[in-house]
Amino acid sequence: MAATAPAAQPAGGAGTPPLRRLAGMLRARIRNGDLLRWLGRGGAVVPLLMLVLVLALLIDKAIPAMRFSGLGFITGSKWNFGSQYGTPVKSDGLLHLPGEEFGALPEVLGTLATSAIALIIAVPVSIGAALAIVELLPRRLANVVGAFLELLAGVPSVLVGLWGALTFGPIIAHDVAPLIANNAPSWLPFLRGDTGNGQGLLTSGLVLAVMIIPIIASTARDLIRGVPLLPREGAIALGMSDAECARRVTLPWVGAGIVGAVVLGLGRALGETIAVAMTCGVALGVLPTNLYAAMITIAANIVQNLDTAITDKMDISAFAYLALILMVITLASNVVARLLVQRVSGSGLPVGRGL
Amino acid sequence: MSTRADPADSGDAQGKTFAPPAAPAANATSADADSIALRTVNLTLGFGQHTVLSEINVEVRRGAVTAIIGPTGSGKSTLLRTFNRMNDKVTGYRHAGDVLLGGRSIWHPGEDLMSLRRRVGMLFQRPNPFPMSISENVTAGVRVHKMAPRNALSTVAEEYLTAVGLWHAVKDRLKDSPFRLSGGQQQLLCLARALAVRPDVLLLDEPTSSLDPNATEAIEKLVRTLLPEITVLVVTHNMAQATRIADWTIFLNRGRLVEFGETKQVFEHPTEQETAGYVGGRFG
Ligand SMILES: Nc1ncnc2c1ncn2[C@@H]1O[C@H](COP(=O)(O)OP(=O)(O)OP(=O)(O)O)[C@@H](O)[C@H]1O
Ligand SMILES: [Mg+2]
Repeated sequence: MAATAPAAQPAGGAGTPPLRRLAGMLRARIRNGDLLRWLGRGGAVVPLLMLVLVLALLIDKAIPAMRFSGLGFITGSKWNFGSQYGTPVKSDGLLHLPGEEFGALPEVLGTLATSAIALIIAVPVSIGAALAIVELLPRRLANVVGAFLELLAGVPSVLVGLWGALTFGPIIAHDVAPLIANNAPSWLPFLRGDTGNGQGLLTSGLVLAVMIIPIIASTARDLIRGVPLLPREGAIALGMSDAECARRVTLPWVGAGIVGAVVLGLGRALGETIAVAMTCGVALGVLPTNLYAAMITIAANIVQNLDTAITDKMDISAFAYLALILMVITLASNVVARLLVQRVSGSGLPVGRGL
Repeated sequence: MSTRADPADSGDAQGKTFAPPAAPAANATSADADSIALRTVNLTLGFGQHTVLSEINVEVRRGAVTAIIGPTGSGKSTLLRTFNRMNDKVTGYRHAGDVLLGGRSIWHPGEDLMSLRRRVGMLFQRPNPFPMSISENVTAGVRVHKMAPRNALSTVAEEYLTAVGLWHAVKDRLKDSPFRLSGGQQQLLCLARALAVRPDVLLLDEPTSSLDPNATEAIEKLVRTLLPEITVLVVTHNMAQATRIADWTIFLNRGRLVEFGETKQVFEHPTEQETAGYVGGRFG
């Protein structure tokens, strides 16, 4: 045993008590960085493990619903929690409530649509705000606006939801929706038709936009602030206007970072629950007929109907399946973003790190 | 030499020499309209309380290279950046007097700032390529000023990359990022970009101070080839460089124009004690 201690290890020489010897070896390891390296590896593995664990748990829970509904879960648009007081029946070896049917197409499309509307509004507004803060506003005012952005980011979503339901929804129903609906061209039927009661797709999308603007804008602001002066001066000296300089030099300089910020916002929008549940109308099993119609998202269905579902294993399994789809959508959007970033940085542009 | 502001009077009589600036200017215009590209008239300029340039009167010869020399902080860059109005947006910036480009004030209300900057190009102390491909860098200004149709852009890129001697080095990677080029190549690229908009005046602010001797030589040689179509103003701390490339030399000290004359005269027979002290100490 003593032979295992190499002669070169001063603290581990023969005759020293074993605990001291162990301490000495540990110290040597720390000194040559082994321990740190292992800690680092552990730190790198933990997030991966957590992701895999969450996925595995979800899949495990979702399996009964997967077997019960199959692909119909994604293509169908009827959702029925079944007769809660009925006696469970058995079909294909699966125990479930009579009348149960799960078609999550409205949820999936609703989630994508609300987030898309949020992005369409939030991205230009955020980038414009970030540019204004960095390049247009005098420093004092810029700081005030920046502070408000950070405050806005911290507003609890239930407040934004309440504001959306009580203030924003009615405005949309009475003013905004009719304006768009009456002026939209006839080849865009999705923008025309019944203007609804203010609970629906447009309201939810706008509420989500309000929630992600501070995220995207404050990140974009920090990125734009980091763009070196020299290339921007070069653009101005070449006769570019401020807008051209922003479009051709400043924004491309931080393009990859901006994509990252947008994905951060998208992740938030896809998963946002309560504010959407409060403004979307929670129309179970209904595909919205136009921009103003009541609809539903994955998160809104889960939060709104958990109390119903919790009494039945199959209902819960369906929610796990829903959650799994949400997770896949979020992960997929991250992957797409990463590919986008790679395309930007693959061209060798200075991805937000300057020169 | 005959038309320049007489630096001998720079001490106390500075303003007085040009007390009626309109009269001599009017005379001079008829005689020199073609030979003077850029003229400053009692140009005084500062940031907030701090006056950086006082009473600068200078006439920059068309189609020649004029060097601006002087100790650090003497206002060389500030003067240069006045000519394409890069100072205008600095907080606290103020100016009195005038700068005439081809006889017209650069602050004339009818002057379009963007087109002024097209005509007065600039190259900076360090290369500053844009985050776009090499060929897009060359044509950036051309596209902004709509100087060539889309399908002619690649020809423009080739023309100006060839002009700066970069074509063979980059012709196989025109779509690549400029940030992988060497510092000297990047600076040549920036020069190509500045030349592609066909400026009348080119402002160079210590264009070679971050480059090695070979790249420096390349830039210096190129500058001479731009004449006489382009009037060049170059700020430099390198006295040898000034004597190599400049026909005329302006010596600034603490915001005042101390001496202005042909380079040979300024360096070999300076009329001012201050100039002698400065160039002698660095160049003897
Ligand atoms: N944007 C600015 N705001 C305030 N003061 C400025 C600004 N730019 C320059 N100055 C001041 O103007 C003076 C002249 O500066 P300038 O950069 O023109 O000197 P320079 O001769 O180019 O010096 P160097 O040889 O070191 O480049 C300095 O005192 C500087 O502090
Ligand atoms: Mg300078």
